[in-house]
Amino acid sequence: MRITRRDFLRCCLASAVALGLEASTIGLLKKALASGVDLPIIWLNASACTGCTVSLANLSVTSKGTGEHDHSLTTSAAVSGPADIADLLLNTIHLAYNTTLMGAAGELAVQTLHHHTAGKFILIVEGGIPTLFDGQTCILWSENGREVTALEAIRRLAPKAQHVISVGSCSSFGGYPGAEPNPTGIKSVEVVSGVKTINIAGCPPHPDWIVGVISQLLVGQMPALDAYGRPTAYFGANIHHNCPRKHNPWASSFGLQEDDCLNDLGCKGRQTNSTCPTLKWNGGTNWCVGAGGICIGCTSPGFPDNRSPLFSSIGATPPDMHPVVEERCTSCHASNPCAEAGMEVEVTH
Amino acid sequence: MRETIIIDPVTRIEGHLSVKIDVEHGKVKKAESAGTMFRGFELISKGRDPRDMIHMMQRVCGVCPVPQGIVAALALESAAQIIVPLNAKIIRNLVQACNFIDSNVLHFYLLTLPDYVPGPQHAPWTPAWNVDMRGGLDLVSSHLPQALTVRRHAHEMGALFAGRMPNGNFLVPGGVTSLLSAERIDRFRAMLDMIKHFVHGTYVPDVRIVADAYPNYFHIGRGPANFLSFGAFEQPDGKKLFQSGMVKRTNPSKVVQLQPDKITEAVTHSFYEGTAPQRPENGQTIAVNPRDKEKAYSWLKAPRYSGYPMETGPLARMWISGSYRNGISVMDRHLARAIETLRLVEAMELWLDLLVPGLPVYEQSYSTPIEACGIGLTEAPRGALGHWLDIANGKVNNYQVITPTCWNLSPKDNCGINGPLEQAIVGAEIRDSKQPIEVMRIVHSFDPCLACAVH
Repeated sequence: MRITRRDFLRCCLASAVALGLEASTIGLLKKALASGVDLPIIWLNASACTGCTVSLANLSVTSKGTGEHDHSLTTSAAVSGPADIADLLLNTIHLAYNTTLMGAAGELAVQTLHHHTAGKFILIVEGGIPTLFDGQTCILWSENGREVTALEAIRRLAPKAQHVISVGSCSSFGGYPGAEPNPTGIKSVEVVSGVKTINIAGCPPHPDWIVGVISQLLVGQMPALDAYGRPTAYFGANIHHNCPRKHNPWASSFGLQEDDCLNDLGCKGRQTNSTCPTLKWNGGTNWCVGAGGICIGCTSPGFPDNRSPLFSSIGATPPDMHPVVEERCTSCHASNPCAEAGMEVEVTH
Repeated sequence: MRETIIIDPVTRIEGHLSVKIDVEHGKVKKAESAGTMFRGFELISKGRDPRDMIHMMQRVCGVCPVPQGIVAALALESAAQIIVPLNAKIIRNLVQACNFIDSNVLHFYLLTLPDYVPGPQHAPWTPAWNVDMRGGLDLVSSHLPQALTVRRHAHEMGALFAGRMPNGNFLVPGGVTSLLSAERIDRFRAMLDMIKHFVHGTYVPDVRIVADAYPNYFHIGRGPANFLSFGAFEQPDGKKLFQSGMVKRTNPSKVVQLQPDKITEAVTHSFYEGTAPQRPENGQTIAVNPRDKEKAYSWLKAPRYSGYPMETGPLARMWISGSYRNGISVMDRHLARAIETLRLVEAMELWLDLLVPGLPVYEQSYSTPIEACGIGLTEAPRGALGHWLDIANGKVNNYQVITPTCWNLSPKDNCGINGPLEQAIVGAEIRDSKQPIEVMRIVHSFDPCLACAVH
């Protein structure tokens, strides 16, 4: 089943409406339905675990906002057969290079990469960029008998790309591989390339965040970004602020009360921004706090070190990072910061 | 005439793999598999709160985070010497099984199938090698969209208890955080019914159709023919659905009891400092510059059991538990993987009946010991997974991980013995050295995950 680009953009439009994107974006998407832009996407896996790719594969037409189907928009996409947007995405955007999925291997794969990076393309990077041993801890391919490191590849390709997207906390900020003592000298794509990146944070990021950004770029719109390069549409709201448990008693132990606030058990919702509580995960099925688990702050710059120990409500602050601003929330009486007080609650990086 | 072929990148796997083969008169004489990405998770673990390992170790691998998280919990619970409630064990089983279903279905339809039948005629499936495609498999390839939906549903089903997939936050030392409700159990059961229908009626038959079209692949890719399983999916009676054990090639019908103290890791041909093979509880991870260690060619260490390379994964599990003993080859691995998926969905139905809303899911008496050692052993989709934990002053003092792909794709050991994949490739006939599809088919039968293997 071949799904057309037109179908895909219709679905992007549905997604944009449900995500509450600006009317101008929606207008652009509508306009793009008639256009024929076809930028190839080069997806490189650097020091990654492929969790971002797996999360992307969980994309679902039911996962927009409330988890409810919006038949007026999505079924109009004339998607006959499975209404699975993973299928839609893989069939429709031009994913020219992605080693997890592509048919080609070895030399043919490398030729494909060179062919598409000779013209206009979007570069997506999953995983941080190691710099130890001149980047020899991450080899992406061999060409002419020579191994090409992620470090070399990113420095070569990022400046040529129309847009560079860092997918996940590792390529955006370093993530777990970049945590102390950062054994392989992981740096973000932006730092090693000097090219401004769109940082879709998260460990993993939500599939809607990834597709939302790609769809905006395909229609020529640059998403609004916060100080950390994250799209404000997805990282503008504080998790605790939108958490259904925020006014509830604080739990003293896991696994007791269904709806207790998990602050004392280490939940980092107060210090973390994302649309998790409203969007939810896996087609709107659930989210971390919904399963009684703590938010570990995986979308934050400095994660995991400035959110560790994860199960501690205090949170150690490494010496080279400024502590979280202490301020009392007027709404929920928390001593930790809460975005309800109207502030961005990220630590300085 | 002799020719050296390097496939780099090997695609449609997880992670970074390069395979180098020497071909003489159309036959592979020598094979080296090299994992080419190292992050140093074991080094990052040092000095951290041991409980954080549950979250950290899930980040070793985005394809099998659930077993990584569960085995970290098992290591912590063995160090603290506590037993988790039955509800928690069953919920862990269910979510781990969801990860298996997702991984196995994705592996067959997305990662393997393009080796046997051309994919959709556009990127990322094209361009592709075009060699030894036998046709008549259009029905199987037409199931791709359905397979994508099923694997997504497997994750959605898991998220009912895990919060999200991948990297759910439902695991804690002492159990799980997700409370049970009849509504959640019913939703799980409804999705499981649909998935079972697909596994039974589509996935298993599709694997058989491909196997029938490529019967010579029952004689290709044998490997060392030693099997290892740590066992997984503990039942209420304490027995595991997939039992632990070891089988040696010299006596393939005899399952020997697993003795974890027979496991060692060699680094002779790996980019690490070290001399003699180490037991994982004493293991070290000291990276060296690849340019400074001439003999070395991979970031994987070389785990051995009593000194032998071991195949691990679905075929090892099905062989050891007696569910599948047809043979050892590329197609046997795919069939064992499908049959195991079927066994799992059937077991999951029974596990659902064992859940009791209202009874505990978490053992509140858990506390992290100040000084203790712990070991966690389970099975990930790709095979035997072990974590060895040493706690000192209440912090992680040492943490060693040995993953399935580290067994399967290990480089040569201190005795110069090749790893299982390397052994499986040697002897294969290559019909077109520009398109060595035979190597890809052998590699994919192991379903490698390199992020896990090196970590």
